[in-house]
Amino acid sequence: MMLRKVIRLISKSHKLDPGRLLHVNIRASQSIAVGLDAQIPGEKSRAISRTQESDPAKHEEQHLSQHYNIPLEEVKTIFPHGFPPRFGMQVKTFNEACLMVREPALELLHYLKNTNFANPAIRYVLYGEKGTGKTLTLCHAVHFCAKQDWLILHVPDAHSWMKNCPDLLQSTYNKERYDQPVKASTWLKNFKTSNEQFLNQIKIQQKYIWNKRDSIEEGRPLGEVVEQGLTRVRNASDAVGIVMKELKRQSSSGSFRLLVAVDGVNALWGKTTLKKEDKSLHGGAIVMSLSQTGSLFKPRVAYLPQDLLGKEGFDDLDPFVPIQVYNYTPKEFESCIQYYLENRWLQHEKAHTEEGKKELLFLSNSNPWQLERLCAYL
Amino acid sequence: MGLGRVLEPAKMAAPMASSARCLWRLGAGVRRTLQPLPGLTQVRWSRYDINYKEPQLNKDYYLKPLEKLTEEEKFERDLRTTQIFKAPPPSKTSSLFEDPVISKFINMMMKGGNKVLARSLMTETLELLKRKQFQKYHEATAEQRESIECNPYTIFHQALQNCQPVLGLVSILKGGRFYQVPAPLTEKRRSFLAMKWMILECREKKPRRMLMPEKLSHELLEAFHNQGPVVKKKHELHKMAEANRAFAHYRWW
Repeated sequence: MMLRKVIRLISKSHKLDPGRLLHVNIRASQSIAVGLDAQIPGEKSRAISRTQESDPAKHEEQHLSQHYNIPLEEVKTIFPHGFPPRFGMQVKTFNEACLMVREPALELLHYLKNTNFANPAIRYVLYGEKGTGKTLTLCHAVHFCAKQDWLILHVPDAHSWMKNCPDLLQSTYNKERYDQPVKASTWLKNFKTSNEQFLNQIKIQQKYIWNKRDSIEEGRPLGEVVEQGLTRVRNASDAVGIVMKELKRQSSSGSFRLLVAVDGVNALWGKTTLKKEDKSLHGGAIVMSLSQTGSLFKPRVAYLPQDLLGKEGFDDLDPFVPIQVYNYTPKEFESCIQYYLENRWLQHEKAHTEEGKKELLFLSNSNPWQLERLCAYL
Repeated sequence: MGLGRVLEPAKMAAPMASSARCLWRLGAGVRRTLQPLPGLTQVRWSRYDINYKEPQLNKDYYLKPLEKLTEEEKFERDLRTTQIFKAPPPSKTSSLFEDPVISKFINMMMKGGNKVLARSLMTETLELLKRKQFQKYHEATAEQRESIECNPYTIFHQALQNCQPVLGLVSILKGGRFYQVPAPLTEKRRSFLAMKWMILECREKKPRRMLMPEKLSHELLEAFHNQGPVVKKKHELHKMAEANRAFAHYRWW
């Protein structure tokens, strides 16, 4: 009888042992705290995805993972070549161009702000896995430099210069090289739109002879070279070469700052080498991004600079500052989803729920490209 | 492996293949007479026998906490631990964004087993629908904006609903002649006809260089507004059925 009572007491005390009570209490308090916090992030997240600061120079760490708007008029002048195709479609559909402020971009802008223009230009290479946002980071840097009144030499896709050229002419200037008149003329047109004010200021320092009849003397503005290239399509690529040479030579004088932004730079060391990279650029910066998507004969998983550039390219570019671009962090992912929700892009009912977001996170593995493709049809 | 609809369970062991096949050739009217007769099974067979149950792919069923289950549901749960289940087909997922109608449509669009291509065409169509509607939305005034539907899934479902015929024509043999008799159709047959007409229309009547998603999105939008060739075909079928109203008595089911 006594034993039974004792056993019952022991079993009851075991159930009511204080450690367990505390555990229950802690859980309760945690759930209350989570409940309170759950309301606040819901309101904050609406504010998280956008920011009013549209000047890249003032982007700081508090603006991380927020979207900032680029006015459409600036888009036409700064990015006449256009954006990458899917981003261009998004800009057209939403009627606004919004870029996300991310860590690699902030790092790059920090370096660009602190460049010492007396030294030779530093090379920055953006690398990362497929679809992590290298090209858009490059566009962010280009926007910043345009706002700071640098002269921009933007090559949107070096791969398109290398492969699938329907028209090739043998160059008059240098017998070993091939020309692409159509591409060169489009590039010159876009270069003109983006750098209007500089074309009149810069004077060329050397005499160039186009052919027997035309020649350009020293001291004429660069705009005339561009015009010549546009009117005479056959000499367009020569005009491009002249532009690059002149800019390189004159940037060291300090009258303007030059940004060379090349996307898909690994194409330059690929199968056909049409241009040489050289190190004599002063008073500016070179920003390059690698791209696996268009490169020929490279395996799909290769994303490190060494793999994509090849030994020759790596040696040529060395030394450079590598900046890796990652997939979205959870905060950035949340911000991206909020941006899509604000623009009513995610139309599926289940996409608004928590499980829907979890599923999107899983399916895309926080990869921006994959997420964009998924949200396109949801 | 199709599901074998066995009419007399556990009585007919082997399907009577040859006799059922020549009965199939006689047509729908004859088939339906023989349907309720005992001793006949369908030709299609499956690797699973009667003991295999259908799998449960709905996540909500399993996420329900134990306290909220009724006695019946608890019993069902315990029963499921000992039952054997069929394997779900690869196209069925427990994803939230899955839609049986869209899966069926993708299967019907598929050619030569190329599901990847068919699925990508479907997703591109949905994306195109969304972009077209967004463009209209941005160009419209404030009052019109509420009437513009931007959800591609609702457009797709509504368009297929608008294409479904109410009555169909069935060939019935009477007095040595085949008559086209108006008859009600099952839900399955109606949705099948709507999807089939849509796909055939988009495959045959498009210009040479136009891609399938573009044409499909155009046709779906037109069907959503009750216009376009597929809805016209449905109306023609209804008119034929109306014209053959006199033969309705030939139907006995």
